[in-house]
Amino acid sequence: MKALLSLERVGKSFGGLAALADISFSVEAGEILGIIGPNGAGKTTLFNVITAFFPPTEGTVIFDGRPIGGLPPHAIAHRGISRTFQNIRLFSAMSVEENVMVGRHCRSRAGVWRGVLRTRGQRGEEREIRERTRELLELVGLEGADPGREARALPYGHQRRLEIARSLAAEPRLLLLDEPAAGMNEAETREVFELIRRVRLLGVTILLIEHDMSLVMKACDRLVVFNFGRMIAEGPPAAIRKDPRVIEAYLGPEEGSEDA
Amino acid sequence: MPVEWLNPYHLQVGSFLLINVLLGVSIYITLSTGQLSLGNAGFMCIGAYTAALLSTKCGLPIPAGIALGAVLAGSAGVLVGLPSLRLSGVYLAIATLGFGEVIRAVAVNWETLTGGAVGVAAVPQMGRVLLANLADAGFAPGDAGLRPNQFIALSVFLILLAVTALVIAFFLRLDRTRVGRAYAAIRLDEKAAEAMGIPVTYYKVLAFSQGAMVSGLAGALFAHSTSYISPEDFTYHRAVEILVYAVFGGSGHLLGSVFGAAALTLLPEALRFVSDYRHMLYGLLLVLMMIYRPQGVIDPPLLRRLHRARAEEAP
Repeated sequence: MKALLSLERVGKSFGGLAALADISFSVEAGEILGIIGPNGAGKTTLFNVITAFFPPTEGTVIFDGRPIGGLPPHAIAHRGISRTFQNIRLFSAMSVEENVMVGRHCRSRAGVWRGVLRTRGQRGEEREIRERTRELLELVGLEGADPGREARALPYGHQRRLEIARSLAAEPRLLLLDEPAAGMNEAETREVFELIRRVRLLGVTILLIEHDMSLVMKACDRLVVFNFGRMIAEGPPAAIRKDPRVIEAYLGPEEGSEDA
Repeated sequence: MPVEWLNPYHLQVGSFLLINVLLGVSIYITLSTGQLSLGNAGFMCIGAYTAALLSTKCGLPIPAGIALGAVLAGSAGVLVGLPSLRLSGVYLAIATLGFGEVIRAVAVNWETLTGGAVGVAAVPQMGRVLLANLADAGFAPGDAGLRPNQFIALSVFLILLAVTALVIAFFLRLDRTRVGRAYAAIRLDEKAAEAMGIPVTYYKVLAFSQGAMVSGLAGALFAHSTSYISPEDFTYHRAVEILVYAVFGGSGHLLGSVFGAAALTLLPEALRFVSDYRHMLYGLLLVLMMIYRPQGVIDPPLLRRLHRARAEEAP
C-alpha cells in the first residue's frame, strides 16, 4: 500500500494559540481512517488545514506524492480532495439536483461562451453532469427525493446524504467526512455507515471524524486520536480501545465524561 | 397615410425603459455572485462618454463606439473588481460608490476632453443617423407611412429592444450553465463553493466585469439615444436607482431586475395624475415592499409556481 496523503509535522497556530501541533501521519490509499478525540481537540481544524481553508503554519501536507501547501482550496478540490462540513453547508436555495451539479464543477469545462451558445460539446457535458448527478443521488439513497426541490426543504438526514453526493460529484480520491452521522438516530447512523462502505468500494479513500465510538471502531481500518491539538495515539481500533492515553483523554484521569 | 397612434413620446419612454432594463440586468449580474455594487452608474458613465466622444471627436461609426464603450467599461470593471474582492457587503458598496463619484468627478473636471459640467452635446442620435443613411439610399419615412420623428423614435426603440432582448437571452442562458451555477453557489455559500473546486476570485471578477460591461453598454446606448450627455446623468442617485430595480423587482432571478426596472420606469409616468405627490407614493411603495415582500416582487419560488401553473394548463 502507498500513502495517498501524508502530513509531516503539521502545525497551525492562531496568533499565539496552537490549535494543532506536530501532526504526522499517513492515509493509505483505499483505507478508512478515523479521526477521534474530545471536542476541541483540533479534528475539524485538521480538515481545514488539509483543504487549505487554514493554511498550515508549520510542516507539509503531501497528497499523491506532491506537496499541496500554498494551493488555494479550489485547486485542492481539483487535485482530488473533497469534503463535507460538520454543520451542513449545502447551497440551501438551490435544488437538490443543482447542488450535486455544482459539485461537478471542477470535472467539467464549458465557459461563458460555450454555455451561452450551447455548443455540441457543452450540451454533451451538461448531459453527462445530469447523468452523473442521477447516479450519485441513487448511490446516497436520495433517488426518491424530488430533484427539483430546494435543498433546505429536505429532512436533516437527507441533507447530510446530499452533501456527501455533492462532494462525490467532484470525483475525489480522498473524501473528508466531518461527523457525517451527527444528530442522527441509530437507524440513520447505520445507514450512513453503510453508505460510507459503499463509497469506499468505489475506490475512494476516506478520512472520517466521528463521535459515535462503537461505529468508528467497526467502520475504520485505523484510528488517529487527537487531544488538545496533538496526536496522542495511532493504530487499529482494537489497540486504540485499550490504549491508556486514549482512555484518559476520553474519561479523564478520574471522572467520567459524556464524550466517550 | 401616417400611423397616427404611434406616439414618439411613448416610444421615447419605452427606449429609456429598455436602457433601465439593461441597467437592471447589470446589477443583477454582480448581485448574482453576492457582490453589492453601487458603481454601475460609474461604469455607465464610462460607456456613455467613450461612445459619445469617439463619435463626436473621432468620427467613429456609432456601433463601433458603443462596442468600445462597453468593452472599456468592462475592463474598468476588472480593475475595480480585483482590489474590491477583499471587501464584501456594505464595504464593497461604499468602495464602488466612491469609484462612481471619482468617474463623475473626472467627467466634470477634465474639461478639454469631456466638456466639463456642460457635458457632450450633438452626440449623433441613432435614429437620425439611420434616417440620413436610408435617405441617401432613396428611402423616405413616408414610404412606410411614418412621419420623420415617428420613424426616428421607432427605430431607436427597436434597436434598443433588439439589444436588450439579446442581452437578456444571453444571461438567462448563462444562468442555466456551469458558470451560472458557480455564480449562484458563490452567492449562497462562498466557502462551500470554494471547497467544491470553484475558483471564487475568478468568477467574482468575471461577474463584476460582466455587470460593468452591461452598464457601459447601457450608457453608450443612452448617449446615442439622447444626443446630449452630462455628468448629471451619472450621479449617485442613478447608482441607487439601479440598485432599487433589483431590490424592488427581486434579486434572486434575472427577470426580477428586469421587471423592477420596467415597473419603476413606468410608475412615475402612471402616477402623473397625482403630480406633486408621486415621489411620495414612490417612496411609500418601496417602504411597503420592504415590509411585506423584502425579497422583491419576483423570486424563484414565484417563477416555479407560474411555470407549474402553465404546465398544468397545457394539455
